[in-house]
Amino acid sequence: MDRNQIGKWLKNPGKMANKYSFHVVYFCTGCGIIEIPPSITTRWDAERFGIIPVATPRQANLFLITGYVSTKTLKAIIRTYEQMPEPKYTVAFGSCPINGGMYYDSYNTIKSLDKYIPVDGYIAGCMPRPEAIFIGVTHLWKLIDMDKADGYKRYREDYEFYRENQEQLFGELDWPPLFKNKSS
Amino acid sequence: MEELKKNILSIFNDLEIYIRKDNRMFINTKKETVLSLLSYFKNSGYDHLGLISCNDWIDDSKFELVYILSAYMANDEEFQEKEKRIIIIKTRIPREKAKFITVIDIFENAEPYERELHEMFGIKFEGHPRLTPLFLELKYETPPFRKDFDTEKYVENKFGKIPTIKERKNNQKNERT
Repeated sequence: MDRNQIGKWLKNPGKMANKYSFHVVYFCTGCGIIEIPPSITTRWDAERFGIIPVATPRQANLFLITGYVSTKTLKAIIRTYEQMPEPKYTVAFGSCPINGGMYYDSYNTIKSLDKYIPVDGYIAGCMPRPEAIFIGVTHLWKLIDMDKADGYKRYREDYEFYRENQEQLFGELDWPPLFKNKSS
Repeated sequence: MEELKKNILSIFNDLEIYIRKDNRMFINTKKETVLSLLSYFKNSGYDHLGLISCNDWIDDSKFELVYILSAYMANDEEFQEKEKRIIIIKTRIPREKAKFITVIDIFENAEPYERELHEMFGIKFEGHPRLTPLFLELKYETPPFRKDFDTEKYVENKFGKIPTIKERKNNQKNERT
């Protein structure tokens, strides 16, 4: 272990433990999923960064959304995100979740993901290479150190707004709200 | 291929047949003869319905249904020759209140294709057991694959009008004050 980091460890051990053990749920939307098999296996070996894929969202704390999000998958994404235990981080992958990308005029693809769930970081590109995932992850470490990766806190605070946006898109949702309204 | 063409022309009337690339046969036909053509081909060894597709000819106000047939490795002796052949049957139906007869009785795997066409183009297939939504989550006034469906306008109205979280927060603040 790096001696310079001992101070950081002692200051906030929980945070340090969190950031070096990302358990990832790969949400296989769109074309980005093709970059995942090489990046978690021997060629790029994501495990040296502490990233390991897990089976269910209930054991995960990093959520990679790989590629465009259609309205049907957005429903599944919201439910998956709400199942994950806190602290949880979301990283959206490719240019499609940012503003629609090449699907900017599609009838069935949502244009910006952060209207519906909070996103901590974007990796731009179409498609980004596996190295970009690791650059993104090391950048996420810095954000966690600075307490700027606060997507889950924002989701808790502004849940009513996120819920309103989701309901405006889908009509009525068939699951109850995750948090109670603060105003009521 | 030429033999097959002669055979078909001796049985059916009012067909336009042309052959491309030695192994593709295009048949333009009226909508009444589609079912009998399909069952004829099924009995003569082309027993695989690959796809039912649809074109929207908005200027002629017609839909063009396209049935693509090919042969599995049949127990026929000449399967090797048949296997490479592709038979494409085209028919035109009116665009307003579009409806057609289902072909499930002849090819069972037509069911999801017809459901898809019902959802994307709004063609009603008579005799289909369940024309329920297949892919789409949202409801659309005009089916989205029609040519008169304006995608950019739809995107502006549907997705563009959803505010960001910051805008929603500011709106609420303004309402309170």
